Amino acid sequence: MNEETKVLPLRELMARPEGWGRNEGRSVYRRMLDFVEGNPGTIVFKVSMKDVQRIDISFASETIVELARRYRRSKGFCVIDLTDEDLIENLDAAAAKKDQPILVWRGRSARLVGMEPSEGTREAFQFALGRAQSRAAEFAGEKKGISIANASMKFKQLWEQGFLLRREAAAGSGGVEYIYHRIG
Amino acid sequence: MQVIRFPAQWLTSAKFEAALKNARGPHDAGTFEVGFEFPTNCKVMVDVAIRLLSLANQLVSATKRVQLNFEEGEAGTMGYLNRLGFFDFLAPEVEVLPARPGYSAAEIHRGGSTALVEIARINKDVRDEGLLARLTGTLMRSCSGRADASELEGAAWTIFAELIDNIFSHSGTRLDGYAALQVYSGGDRLLVAVSDSGLGIMDTLRPSLKIEFPHLAGLSDMDLLVEVFRQGISRHGADRGCGLKGSAAKAIKFRADLDVRLPNQRVLLSPARGEYRANTAYCYDGLPLIWGTHIAFAFQLA
Repeated sequence: MNEETKVLPLRELMARPEGWGRNEGRSVYRRMLDFVEGNPGTIVFKVSMKDVQRIDISFASETIVELARRYRRSKGFCVIDLTDEDLIENLDAAAAKKDQPILVWRGRSARLVGMEPSEGTREAFQFALGRAQSRAAEFAGEKKGISIANASMKFKQLWEQGFLLRREAAAGSGGVEYIYHRIG
Repeated sequence: MQVIRFPAQWLTSAKFEAALKNARGPHDAGTFEVGFEFPTNCKVMVDVAIRLLSLANQLVSATKRVQLNFEEGEAGTMGYLNRLGFFDFLAPEVEVLPARPGYSAAEIHRGGSTALVEIARINKDVRDEGLLARLTGTLMRSCSGRADASELEGAAWTIFAELIDNIFSHSGTRLDGYAALQVYSGGDRLLVAVSDSGLGIMDTLRPSLKIEFPHLAGLSDMDLLVEVFRQGISRHGADRGCGLKGSAAKAIKFRADLDVRLPNQRVLLSPARGEYRANTAYCYDGLPLIWGTHIAFAFQLA
């Protein structure tokens, strides 16, 4: 989905390198929204934290988390260029409160903050996280004791909760099947 | 005149409350004049300083006469309060004995101390964008030798940011709020204090409980306050309130005690098993009225 992915440089939308409080968050949110609407073909936005020195929990809640929640199921938002543990913790606290999962990517590895997958969907999520795209049949095939119907239910739940994105594709059998994508 | 005499020792928030209780409530309808007496050797701690500043300004705004009497003069705690910037924000109607300081030590030395950050005014219409940097900058200079200094810096920044933003967003008052910081005893103990004179946190939260969190409506104020810091509860609904919760989580990592003064109560929270819990909280009820919410975090740095 490379052509459908874009970097959203957060710092360029902020007045200062520090993001402090709900009000400031709301005004940056509007700019982020403009950026997203200005790129209608983009499915995944990688929010770059480059040059952002700090953000508090309220600011994270009103910006990245709110955007991810608003576009849940249709567009995905992940975070890149973020290594500061304290900021990750703030993002985590904000996302958890809004029941929103968010992936923080560092190179090729991702760390999940905010909401966690349920016990029943954790393995399916790990599976999807390990590859660019996944089909229910692939997961069912690799994991013994899980039917395709069951696997597809798990993926659907993950999609509904904002862990994954999906798109329709023609199935080999002639029907429609969903291809699930990790975010980022 | 209703006289509130403080003890000739460190004036902690507990001692401050004890002195207040010995007199008729300064906000009581029958009280028209309030005198605060600071004997020689009375040393005001930073959280008490901004609570007192808020209270004095509240009383003046309620058209009461207020007098502060520093028996040791500028050589004593008055000199420290001047260094903190206390008199820069004290309503001009407040009478100061022996006399108001001739100059502001805070203005002259601002930013020059590694152990304190002068009192900053919190007013939603005049946002001091450099405040957070000053608060954390001082903190870093006074504990730069610590291995976890940068983690502490991040925690302190977030706690300040959230507490102050909270004041901005539930203002409802024309009186200013205040924030200040002081490092004590050779860097072992850090007090971070934020005060506002708006509606108390309970007064804004209570009315929303029946609709937003009916299962919490029956809780006592103390239990409810514990939940504010533990679960994050906000009058704005279930997806808000993460700020105070997250601040508390950071404070707990540094084993910080939390002291919250509400209009008629004071609640003390100590971390136990990684969280603030109702069974380790203390609540002092029936205290003399002070408007607003006054929060102090005490970090043990040693």
